[in-house]
Amino acid sequence: MPRVTPTSLRKELFANPLDGLVSVLLITGLAAVGYRLLHWALTQAQWAVIQANSTLFAVGRYPIEQQWRLWLLVALLVAATGLSWGVLRGLPLRDRPITALWPRNDRIGAIVLVALGSWAPAALGLTLSIQVRWWGLTGLLLLMRWLAGRYGSRLGKAATRALPLVWPLLYLVGMVLIGGGLGLVPVGTNEWGGLLLTLVEASFAILLSAPLGVLLALGRRSSLPLLRWGSVLYIEFIRGAPLITLLFLGQNILGFLLPGGLAPDRIWRAAWILTFFSAAYLAEAVRSGLAAVPRGQLEAARSLGLSLPQALAQVVLPQALRIALPATVGQFISLLQDTTLLSLIGLLDLLGTARSVMANPLFLGKSAEVYLTLAVLFWCCCAALGLGSRALERRLNPPSLGR
Amino acid sequence: MTAESMPANAMVPKSPAMIEARGVEKWYPNGFHALRGVDLTVQRGEVVVIMGPSGSGKSTFIRTFNALEEFQKGSITVDGIALNDDRRKIDAIRREVGMVFQQFNLFPHLSVLDNLTLAPVLVRRRPKGEVLSQAMALLERVGIAEQAHKFPGQLSGGQQQRVAIARSLCMEPRILLFDEPTSSLDPEMVREVLEVMQGLAADGMTMVVVTHEVGFARQVADRVVLMADGQVVEEATPERFFDHPQHERSRQFLAQIL
Repeated sequence: MPRVTPTSLRKELFANPLDGLVSVLLITGLAAVGYRLLHWALTQAQWAVIQANSTLFAVGRYPIEQQWRLWLLVALLVAATGLSWGVLRGLPLRDRPITALWPRNDRIGAIVLVALGSWAPAALGLTLSIQVRWWGLTGLLLLMRWLAGRYGSRLGKAATRALPLVWPLLYLVGMVLIGGGLGLVPVGTNEWGGLLLTLVEASFAILLSAPLGVLLALGRRSSLPLLRWGSVLYIEFIRGAPLITLLFLGQNILGFLLPGGLAPDRIWRAAWILTFFSAAYLAEAVRSGLAAVPRGQLEAARSLGLSLPQALAQVVLPQALRIALPATVGQFISLLQDTTLLSLIGLLDLLGTARSVMANPLFLGKSAEVYLTLAVLFWCCCAALGLGSRALERRLNPPSLGR
Repeated sequence: MTAESMPANAMVPKSPAMIEARGVEKWYPNGFHALRGVDLTVQRGEVVVIMGPSGSGKSTFIRTFNALEEFQKGSITVDGIALNDDRRKIDAIRREVGMVFQQFNLFPHLSVLDNLTLAPVLVRRRPKGEVLSQAMALLERVGIAEQAHKFPGQLSGGQQQRVAIARSLCMEPRILLFDEPTSSLDPEMVREVLEVMQGLAADGMTMVVVTHEVGFARQVADRVVLMADGQVVEEATPERFFDHPQHERSRQFLAQIL
């Protein structure tokens, strides 16, 4: 990235009178809007609605005496995030060596995280014990980042290969921690809510729709007519129907379609619908990736004696999925946002919780505060997905002469 | 090439032909009659160069040898195995037939070394360590051992094509097919690839080469085959073909490329 200097700024923003005029108008506009928003947020907004309901927004009506399980899960997630961050940073950009344990962007990121972790809980007026937990989590994140960056490269390729497995494994651990079992008190799905429910639904759909989407994309390009037409029919049907109708439909008919026990209640039925919905869109993203891999790749692999599954797994899919990665992550991000539709079928996800809070006479007229908080929460989740995927993408690109 | 990396029976003279194609006919799905009864016999250790104008069916023809193209009539036998729809036979043939493509078709997401070792480890189930040392020896042989850990995108066209040849050799094939191996190379890189191919021929590798390189055909080929409109027009030793072509179609073609 070229360095930003006063000279480069002048060249980019004020190259000629028209550019200058546009720049001045845009800068003034942005400044005015930003100033008003900040002014409102800091002096006029009444954040009591968020302070009073912070637990509700976070986990819904999850029993207080069992909430340590969620804190434990958050700690595990934070540790895994720090680990992934450090290991990814430890991977060279193939043609560029690793320069520092903490490159500039990481130093900025660490400072922002420390600032947020120490300021936000206090600003939200959370109790001291909860503030301390946030500090602990921030510390844990940076510690894991440091450990993985410092020692991750010594573990070599095996550690890098095992890393993608950490997340699905963590999902299983998380489901036990959230739902109970294995000696933990069961907590029914009707008591899950808020950000917890949103993330459970989104991560379930993300993890399962990825393999399903790949299979559908391969099916659509298959030479077996039945498989091909089945995949086309499925993809086009799902893409032709609005998600909300599928969600309503799913609440009614999914019990018949899935084998017993797979969709026992409304929350899991909704999760399956999100999965099926997302898989159809993912299939199209993967298909575009498959189409971008030259035909000669498959021919070369087959002429070396690789079977079709071997050729797909070793040669075609690694290239196709790398090409499809940005579109795939885009789909995951919109999936995360689509979970807000769950509030329309009566689930208390983040938006559903927010609507129930705003319906409380105590907090009438506080919708701006609530919606802004929601927007920021969603933005944080999506930004994390986007950052992770861009880092991954840069490290998956094979180097070429031009770079 | 070292003696042990050559298949043992490639040296045995009196065994059946390596490739035996009889009356091969192919129609593309759009009805185009690409091959109109082509016959060709390639003996062990022989180098056959196929020439002809573009669209004459020469690439299509050699791609039928390892079942990258289907054909509708006629018969092809590769190393004694008849090519038909039996998947296992096709897999067996593909293990013994190496192919080098015009566009190299290296796997861009794998390092040079991994390009070489992928198939022997996966298909032949040979131990990785053994394949690695063989791969390094082959890279040495084609003159790019120092690039072993680079990626294909970091190499020049000529280097990529030499890696592609080494990748084919790593499967220890009994025959190598070359589909216009120098046609997409810059002129200054053609020679380095042809030299590698010349070395292979000198070591007794059976090769079928589709190319327009007259110099290579003259020096290396045992026979030259001219194809036009999906048929073999003339089949002769290089001297006879280039100096005394028998057919009008051959004279026309040579007048255009010489």
